[in-house]
Amino acid sequence: MDYALQQLLNALAFGAEYSLVALGLAVVFSIMGLVNFAHGEIIGVSAYSVFLAAALGLTSPFVAVLLAVAAAALAAIAFERVAFRPVRYAPTTTGLLTAFGVSIVVQNLFMLLISPKPQSVSILNGLNQMWFVGPFAVSSLQVMELIVSGLTILALVLFLNRSTLGLAIRAASRDFATVRLMGIRANRVIATAFAISGALAGIAAVFIIARRGSVSPDLGFSLVLKAFVACVIGGFGSLAGAAAGGMLLGFIEVGLLVALPQEYGGFKDALTYVIIVALLVYRPEGLLGQRVELGDKEI
Amino acid sequence: MSQVLENTAPPIVAASQKGSALRRSLIGGLVTSLPVLAIGLAILNFAPTYYTFLALGAFVNLIVVVGLQVFMGNSNIANLGHSAFVGLGAYGVAILSTPLAMKKLSIPNAPFGFATLQLDPVSSAIIALIVVGVIAAVSGKVISRLSGVTATIVSLALLIIVHSVFLNWTDLFKGNQAFFGIPKVVGLPWMLVFSVVVIVAARLFKDSRWGLQLRASAQSPQAAAALGIDAKRLRLMSWVLSALICGLAGVLYAYFAGTISPKLFYFQMIFNTLAMLILGGMATVTGAVTGVIVLSVGLEFIRSIESGVTIGSIQLPQLLGLSGVALGVVIVLCMAFRPSGISGRYELDELFSRYFRRNAK
Repeated sequence: MDYALQQLLNALAFGAEYSLVALGLAVVFSIMGLVNFAHGEIIGVSAYSVFLAAALGLTSPFVAVLLAVAAAALAAIAFERVAFRPVRYAPTTTGLLTAFGVSIVVQNLFMLLISPKPQSVSILNGLNQMWFVGPFAVSSLQVMELIVSGLTILALVLFLNRSTLGLAIRAASRDFATVRLMGIRANRVIATAFAISGALAGIAAVFIIARRGSVSPDLGFSLVLKAFVACVIGGFGSLAGAAAGGMLLGFIEVGLLVALPQEYGGFKDALTYVIIVALLVYRPEGLLGQRVELGDKEI
Repeated sequence: MSQVLENTAPPIVAASQKGSALRRSLIGGLVTSLPVLAIGLAILNFAPTYYTFLALGAFVNLIVVVGLQVFMGNSNIANLGHSAFVGLGAYGVAILSTPLAMKKLSIPNAPFGFATLQLDPVSSAIIALIVVGVIAAVSGKVISRLSGVTATIVSLALLIIVHSVFLNWTDLFKGNQAFFGIPKVVGLPWMLVFSVVVIVAARLFKDSRWGLQLRASAQSPQAAAALGIDAKRLRLMSWVLSALICGLAGVLYAYFAGTISPKLFYFQMIFNTLAMLILGGMATVTGAVTGVIVLSVGLEFIRSIESGVTIGSIQLPQLLGLSGVALGVVIVLCMAFRPSGISGRYELDELFSRYFRRNAK
C-alpha cells in the first residue's frame, strides 16, 4: 500500500511538472503558431541566473524562487523581441526552425560563458525534505510540486477567463486579425503570452534545481522534448490538452518504471514514446484536439 | 497566420514530352553535382591525408543533407529525426560485416546468431538498407497521417527511441561504447560516386510527378486535394526515400571510419545537417549542396578557433561551444532575413539557363 501510494505521488508530481512546461508551450503556440523549442532554454536561463546569484552571495531561497520566475519571464520576452518577432507572420516551419536555432545558441552560450560541466547549486535544497505524514514518508518537493502546479493552473485559468487581457489572449488564439481590429495591441498580447509561458517555465526551473541540486547547459532540453510530446498527445494548441497530456505522460512513465524489470529500465524512454506514437495512430489529432478537415470554418 | 510558403520551389513548367523532362532533370542533377565532383577530385589528387578524412566526413553530411532535402524540401515539414536512419544504416552494416574475430571481442552475446555471422560488405549494405526501408515505412505510415507540427515532434520521438535502443540493447549495439572493427572498404572515389547518384536521385524525385504533386500539396493542401492528389501517400514515399538516402550515408560512414558510436547519430548531427540545409535553402537540391559546402568550410574554420589559437603572441583560450553558437546564429539569421536560403528558389542549371536566356535577348 505504501509503495502504491508512493508511486501514485511520483506519477502525479512528474505529471504536474510536464503539465507546467507543456502549458507554457501551448499558450505560445495557440496564439502565434510558434513551436517554441527554445522553451527549455528559458528554463536554463532561469536556472543559471539562480546559480549566478547564489555564486554572488544570495542566500535566501525565497528571493531565489522570485528571481527564477522573474528571470524566466524576462528571458521569454527577450527571446520573442529578438528572435521571434521577425518570423511572427511566417509559416509554422520557419518559426519552429528559428526556435530550434535559438535553443542551440543559448545552450552553447551556457557552455561557452559558464562551463560545459554541471555546476552545483545548493540554495534551493531546503525544499527537498522528507515529510512524515502518519505512517508515510513523502518527499516535500513532490507535494509542493503538485500543489504549486495546481494553484498555477488555477491562476492561469482565472486570468484567461476573468481579465480583459486574458480574454484578448483567448480571442487571439482564435482570430488574431479581429483582435487587432478591436484596438488591442498585438505586441502586448504576444508579450503577455510569452511572459506567462516564461513564468510557468520559471516555476518548473525552481523544482528542477531543488531536485537535482545542479545546473547544466542541456537541463531544459530533454524536459521540453517530453513537454512537446505531452502537447501532442493532448492535441497541439489546446491548453486543457497540454495539462492532461502532461499528467498522462507522468503516469505512463511511472507505470513503465514500476512494470519494467530492473535490467530493462533503460528502455523506459523508448517505450514511453512508442506508446505515445501508438496512441497517435488511433487519434492523430490528439486526445482533446478537434479533427479539423481542410476548409472547415472555425466554430 | 499567412500561408505564403517561401520555402517551396516554384512548380516547373510542364514539358510537352515526358522524355525531355526526364532528360532535363537528369542533366540538371548532373550540373548540380559538378561542384561536388570538382571539389572531390581536387581533394583526391592534391590534398594531404588529414583533409581527405575531413572531406569524407563532409561527403557523408552531404548525403544526409540531400536525404533531408528530399523530405523537408518537398513536403515542407521539418524533420528532426533523420539521424536515426543514419545510425540504423551504420549499425546495420557494423553488425553484419564486422569480422568474426572482432565480434568475439565486441558483441560475443549478440542475439539471433549475429555473433557468428559475417557477410561481405555489399550484401551487408543491401540488407542494412532493406531494414532501414522497413523501419522507415512503418514510421512513415504514422508520420504521413499527422499534421505538420505533430509530424515534426513524432520524428523527434523516433530519434529518441532509436538512440535509446542503441544505448540500452548492449548485447547487439554495444551501448555507449564505440563499435569498432568494421571493414574500411570505402574511400573518397566511392563516396564521390554515391554523392553524385544521390544528388541526381533527389533531383529526379523533385521533378517527377510525385515530387511536383507533393510540393503542390505543401503549398496548398486544399487545392491539391481537390485535384485528387493523395498527399499522405506522397509524404510516405518521400519519407522512405529520404530515410534510404540517410541510411546509405550511415553505411558509407561506417565503411570509411571503421568505428561508430551512438552519440554520433544524435542531436549534434541533426544540428549540423539542419543548419546546412537551411543555410543553403531547402527548396532545392542545389541549396542542400551549397549549404554543405559553405558550412563545412566555415565550421572547420570555427573549430580551429574553438580549440584555442595563437594570434601573434596572444594565446586564446579554448572556446567550447563556439561552433554551436555559430550554427544556431546561422539558422536564426537565415530564418529572419532569407528563409529561402542562399540558393533561393532555383536549381543551379535553372539559374544558368535563365542567365543565358537573358543574355541571348
